[in-house]
Amino acid sequence: MLDALNFDRIREQARHILLTLFMVAIVTVCVYFLIVEAGLGHGSVVYLLPVVIAATRWGIVSAITAAVCGVLASAFFFFPPLYTFRITDPHEVINLTLFIFVAVVVSHLATRLKRQLELSRQREIDLRDLYAFSRRLAVAFDVSDIHAAIEDHLATVMQRKIVLFSSAREAAASGGRRPGVAVPDRIRADVADVASGRRDVANSAVTVTSDNGDVWLIRAVSPKSSEFGVIAINLGRTPQEDSDELRIRVDAVLSDATATLERLGVAHAISEARMRSQTDQLREALIGSVSHELRTPLASILGAATVLSAAPALRGEKKLQALVHDVRDEAERLNNDIQNLLDASRISSDGIKPHAEWADPADIVNSTIERCRHRMSGRRVVLNLPNDLPLIHVDSVLVQQALVQIFDNAVKYSAAGSQISVAARARDGRMIMSVSDEGAGLTAAEQTKIWDRFARGERHATTTSGSGLGLWIATAFVAANGGKINAVSEGPGRGTSITIELPVTQAVVTQMEGDADE
Amino acid sequence: MNETAPIVLVVDDEIQIRRFLRTGFELNGFVVHEAGNGTEAIRSATLRPIDLVIVDLGLPDMDGSEVIERIRSWSTVPIIVLSVRSTEAQKVHLLELGADDYVVKPFGMAELLARVRVALRRQMRAASGEPTVKAGPLVIDLAARAVTLNGARLVLTPKEYRLLQVLAQHAGNVVTHQHLLKEVWGSIHVHDTHYLRIFVRKLRQKIEPQPDSPKILVTELGVGYRLAQNEGESGNGHMAATEAPVKTES
Repeated sequence: MLDALNFDRIREQARHILLTLFMVAIVTVCVYFLIVEAGLGHGSVVYLLPVVIAATRWGIVSAITAAVCGVLASAFFFFPPLYTFRITDPHEVINLTLFIFVAVVVSHLATRLKRQLELSRQREIDLRDLYAFSRRLAVAFDVSDIHAAIEDHLATVMQRKIVLFSSAREAAASGGRRPGVAVPDRIRADVADVASGRRDVANSAVTVTSDNGDVWLIRAVSPKSSEFGVIAINLGRTPQEDSDELRIRVDAVLSDATATLERLGVAHAISEARMRSQTDQLREALIGSVSHELRTPLASILGAATVLSAAPALRGEKKLQALVHDVRDEAERLNNDIQNLLDASRISSDGIKPHAEWADPADIVNSTIERCRHRMSGRRVVLNLPNDLPLIHVDSVLVQQALVQIFDNAVKYSAAGSQISVAARARDGRMIMSVSDEGAGLTAAEQTKIWDRFARGERHATTTSGSGLGLWIATAFVAANGGKINAVSEGPGRGTSITIELPVTQAVVTQMEGDADE
Repeated sequence: MNETAPIVLVVDDEIQIRRFLRTGFELNGFVVHEAGNGTEAIRSATLRPIDLVIVDLGLPDMDGSEVIERIRSWSTVPIIVLSVRSTEAQKVHLLELGADDYVVKPFGMAELLARVRVALRRQMRAASGEPTVKAGPLVIDLAARAVTLNGARLVLTPKEYRLLQVLAQHAGNVVTHQHLLKEVWGSIHVHDTHYLRIFVRKLRQKIEPQPDSPKILVTELGVGYRLAQNEGESGNGHMAATEAPVKTES
């Protein structure tokens, strides 16, 4: 592989020298015509042109070639005796010597300029990489994001495919993070050794030969912090001396990279991300168990209360019946509160993942009314559902739960016997569902505040109960379906109208096979 | 309902739940057997004749869905699942495993009794070969393939009838979207829920006295449809307290 590389380089060099000679030849022809046809003096200065061009484009070797050939060409063609390399006039010899000196200096300067240009371009690329890396770190949410960023960063810096293992455990588990890069089990075992500190490698990389003869280079990213993990690089079938050279380069690159990682506070970010995911797990577990622990007894209480309320022994016992109904109603309320807390924590912890399907908006409204029958008792429910509503592609259960919250709100802030109107209509490519009550209404300030988490109307804080989560949950559920929610009120005491707007996309109903048989 | 008292097997690990279910069922003329875990439940179901099983999903020794599968492997006894509010996908899964219906905890006794009665009636009809299914004013004669509303014969397309037939065969119980789509349109259309939505809307225009507030072909959001079997559920105080929604002209 290296031989091939050398051969390529030699061929490239030869091409440059040929091009240089070609340039010198052209200049010779031009100068020849200038002298012969126009009768000007000799023009060896013009030979500086190919020297400068060769120096800036192809480096010092081509530049020197251009200078030497230029001198030879002018000696041969333009200095007497013509058509020999001999020069008789000592002035001309000094002239040519001076020319060679200037040519060498110019080519040296031009080459240095070229190298500096390349260096600054490389530095710009490095800076851009570094910037991209730090930006990725900034948005990285968990440890694996950070490790992926480190892995990609090192791969760019080293110009090789690398695999990064975040811990000994990950290395030991076969399967690998990336399906693209397979790491043999033997290499994994070595990586695990390095990661767990069983093999003391201090500051340098180890090379291991795998069963199929590939040489792998393994190194802890940083000797100081195990948080950054261990990398493995497949060098292929490389002879020992070449891999030594590569190892030195990897060490150099990694010590730079480690400095970068430390400067960016990556270790801190990683441990913070670990802590965050632990907190999340703890919270999930807590919510899960609280939900189970609170609801199991609630199920018994509610069930038992409903059995009691229908028991023959209590028939005719009006006062006892009322007590039993209280038990049932309060248990139901408690259950709703727990459900709201669960929904709220679900929204803030992992977001809502809607399972959209085609739904009939009328179905959603009707089943919500059915579900809230008990809660809406004592209100006149007026329904307005046109029978040509378009289908909507939503998670109908989430929309229903949002509607339940809105119904609850309407009932909570309106008087018994008042009217609650529920309507759905399509307008401008949106499905609009509205729930209007004749209740307490909203002040201008309340209209913006009701959507906040734990918002409670101050006017009602003492008269109604609630967690203030309801409308916040409704907003989140509607937003998860690509919709939005609005409240309109004529003012305090004049009722509230809350609308849900959902997108309507056209259902792809090609020839309905349902009708084909009619 | 039956000459002899129906026997119900209650499977739940919470003794308080078993206790109120036992009292509730006994007050309504059922005989109750109890099981505290899955193994006991399966043994109990094999040893004694049982008319209906009520199974909680969270059991200490095995998952409730496993109990359903095991019992379904040899018996067609109606099974009703008690679950905490779970995702609709899980309910669909349980129904596909062979559960007849589900009730979400916490629930009232009246709600459970209504589901139990529906399931028992369906089982009885299947056993006796009774060909007609009634849902309010709607009568479906499965033998004559005839549907009448308030005594008047309805004209249905073959697919409309097929849909109604599948629902009638499970009268009172939820039938999942997937099951309906497969039975009516074939297995390649099981995900084309919009067919079903549009079709049901048309069918409701024919069979519902008030199509925009359906009482016969009822939607179970995210799960499927149910052909309502409105039994006089006097125990359910909720219904009496609320007036039916008023319809306005749009």
